[in-house]
Amino acid sequence: MLLFRGTDLRKGLSPEELQKVSEKWMTWFRRLTEQGKAVAGQPLERDGKIVSGKDRVVSDGPFAESKEAIGGYFLLDIATMDEAVAIARECPGLPYGIRVEVRPVAGECPIAAQARTEAQFAQV
Amino acid sequence: MSTQNQNGYLLLYRSNEWYKALSSEELQKVASENKAWIDRLTAQGKATPGHALERKGATVFGKNGRHVSDGPFAESKEAIGGYLLLDVETIEEALAIAQSCPSLAYGTSIEVRPVADECPLDVRARELAREEQLANA
Repeated sequence: MLLFRGTDLRKGLSPEELQKVSEKWMTWFRRLTEQGKAVAGQPLERDGKIVSGKDRVVSDGPFAESKEAIGGYFLLDIATMDEAVAIARECPGLPYGIRVEVRPVAGECPIAAQARTEAQFAQV
Repeated sequence: MSTQNQNGYLLLYRSNEWYKALSSEELQKVASENKAWIDRLTAQGKATPGHALERKGATVFGKNGRHVSDGPFAESKEAIGGYLLLDVETIEEALAIAQSCPSLAYGTSIEVRPVADECPLDVRARELAREEQLANA
């Protein structure tokens, strides 16, 4: 999975430049989809909420104009980390400060995996 | 904030590896609670299967992606541990679902984000073009 971090690249760019980056991004996604390498991808709105704690408190998140905020994602159907990093390197947002987090999708829930490991230890 | 959104909502789980500190019994309990929660949402047609992410990976940044760095994806409480895509139309319903997540009790926080209809860069480009037109009028 590619997570695109940084939602502040819009600052300082002209409408034409913004449109060009956006077009490049769409072309990139279309090519990966046609190649069967991208199976999903979506941009996120610059607002949202965070739910946290035992009390399930809802708070506003700083999602706009933040270097760390996630602006969208691609889900890739490829087998190696090397290929994922190579694809991440093609991201048209990189020259504007976007960072691409590349994360392997887990085969199963890590909590369930940990539970099984613990259970095996307990039997020994 | 828009309360209505046809494109659904993305839940991003943020946490460290809190489950590594639990006993075998606690782990079984929370794993089955989580599974039941997701199975129910999926059966109701409110969620499409999400994914957990491995606690490893890389970050690519800089012009032409010349820099590649590791983690931290394990220790940080801010790290994304997985996601779930909700097929609901209001932020209120998305928040109510997020609030019913069993992992919250263990320190996980959940980011609730509306999925965008189009690229926000295009939206901003149009806004800017309009502002320029007004300024020149």
